[in-house]
Amino acid sequence: MSGNGVQFIPVIIVAGMFLLFIVSGLSTKMRQVSDYGFAGSYGGRITNGAAIASNWMSAASILGLAGLFYLKGYYAMAYVVGWTGGYVLLLVLMATQIRRFGKFTAPDFVGFRYESNAARTLVALISITISIIYCMAQFRGIALLVSWLFGMSYREAVFTGTALLVAFVVVSGTIGVIRNQRLQYFVLINAFVLPLMFINWKLGYFWLLPQFGYGKAIITLQEEFGFFWSEPFASISLFQWLALCFSLMFGTAGLPHVLSRFYLAPSMRDARWGVVWGLFFISLIYWSAPAYGVLARLFDARAGNPFKVPDTATADIVTLTAATQAGLPVWLIGLLVAGGMAASFYAAAGLLQSGAAAFAYDIYPRFVSSNATESEKVNVAKGAFLVLASVVMLLTLNQVGLIAEIAAVAFALAGNTIFPAFVLGIWWSRTNAAGVMAGMLTGLFITVAPLLLGDLFPIVKIIFPLTSSAFIGAPLVMLVMILISLATRPPSDEIVSFLISDVHDSGGK
Amino acid sequence: MPENGIKRNINIFRPIPGAMTDEVKVIVLLLLAYLFAVVGSQMGIWFLEESLHGFWLTDLFFFNLPIHFWISGQFIPLLFIILCLLFNLWMDRHEIRRMEGTIRFRATGRKKGEVP
Repeated sequence: MSGNGVQFIPVIIVAGMFLLFIVSGLSTKMRQVSDYGFAGSYGGRITNGAAIASNWMSAASILGLAGLFYLKGYYAMAYVVGWTGGYVLLLVLMATQIRRFGKFTAPDFVGFRYESNAARTLVALISITISIIYCMAQFRGIALLVSWLFGMSYREAVFTGTALLVAFVVVSGTIGVIRNQRLQYFVLINAFVLPLMFINWKLGYFWLLPQFGYGKAIITLQEEFGFFWSEPFASISLFQWLALCFSLMFGTAGLPHVLSRFYLAPSMRDARWGVVWGLFFISLIYWSAPAYGVLARLFDARAGNPFKVPDTATADIVTLTAATQAGLPVWLIGLLVAGGMAASFYAAAGLLQSGAAAFAYDIYPRFVSSNATESEKVNVAKGAFLVLASVVMLLTLNQVGLIAEIAAVAFALAGNTIFPAFVLGIWWSRTNAAGVMAGMLTGLFITVAPLLLGDLFPIVKIIFPLTSSAFIGAPLVMLVMILISLATRPPSDEIVSFLISDVHDSGGK
Repeated sequence: MPENGIKRNINIFRPIPGAMTDEVKVIVLLLLAYLFAVVGSQMGIWFLEESLHGFWLTDLFFFNLPIHFWISGQFIPLLFIILCLLFNLWMDRHEIRRMEGTIRFRATGRKKGEVP
């Protein structure tokens, strides 16, 4: 991957794309007031959907998923179904109610609903942990792309990528760039699908809809090279597949930065319809991702190695390898790299900023300085951003797994902790602070149990796999929340009254 | 809070009669369809793999893709979009009905459903 020297044209395309985002962000800032005038319109919902999709896109979607298809075949379909299915849970169980709560972050929501600063702090700590783990996947994506762009080693690329990310956030913050998510989604989808159309065209497949065209590659692999995709559960069990799928669903509906999109929607209808459009835009990426994995396998087969088992770094960058092996024009490869960089950069920046904000606004005033002023909190947030970026950078130096697998651990943690706290907080008014604290601590323990107890008790790794623990974990956590809540004092009448009259459609009763 | 001596609570298994009951019914129906799609499809694929040594999965293609790739990779996400669409259409109608009821109540001074 490294050692090929600097890829000048792709570097220029990547730099140009970030410049475009900055210029567009500055003009968005000037138009922002008039944009609010269209809130609630049809266009507003599509924009909200594009914002949801753009907010969602990360290295795991653009790079990791194709790598997993390439390496593990049908197993990766659990990611497609899990990541899209999570939005159904979000819509039907939480979107409207979260918007009615009117709280802007997960710690805000939990602190208010459970009338507990301790629960609020615990959620803040969990949010920071989720940010760190999820960011490791983004940093890994950034490092692999930087390594390819500048021809440097993985470790050098981790340092360089971190420096670029911090510089980008500082420059954007200093000149006040607003994120134009609609443009970002437009660039991302084109950067991802256009190269795929070109590859299909070059191979003589149906290129207009490459999401279907790549099927010919599956047939070719089967008939000419004896590579079959027809045994989906040969290397994994049905339980493992469903565990991963549901864990990702619960995690999607529990990720703090995903949930916060609903607080920002102009109205409840916009919050709901934004999910539909967002899911459609996200699906466009996920309908395409398997194609890269399959086509990369086809190029391996044509090179005489259909059953190649590469290292994780090679698998994670298979989107790029497929484009290179297909002989695409360098500008198109540059566009693909730019898409991957944009997804990873914005996901990492957003996660680090939300983690830093959770520290500055939920932990610092409670444990360090109870009289902290707003400007002091802003400065703390800036410092926390740098500390978190450094921590993630150090953790990313070791290649611990595939991008999608690292991301899945963050989803499992969110699914084991924040998801049950939100679902019960909205749908069962009897849940109280003691219940939610006990439940979330149980969820934390379940998430790390395979690491702590897996070697001692192998059954733990089977029931709670590291990337899929929320399948059994989330229901178990809910049970703990229910039992502890019933055994302790009920929540106040005020919060129950708020749930009945303001959050649920009870006709104002 | 206590109404006629009965303390009211929010519980998805015992929704407040009226609008919330209808909403919960729709949510349950959608979640059942969702569960059936996800678990049912994978159990079906697993069964196809186990029977006839995966013959069906090798030879059955749909829209250019092996049937299990098409079901999980294309159809289920599409089904999720359709389920979300149906939910939103129902919620929109439900909200309009509720608003109309409120407006009528305000305009006539009568309770909803009361015969003049």
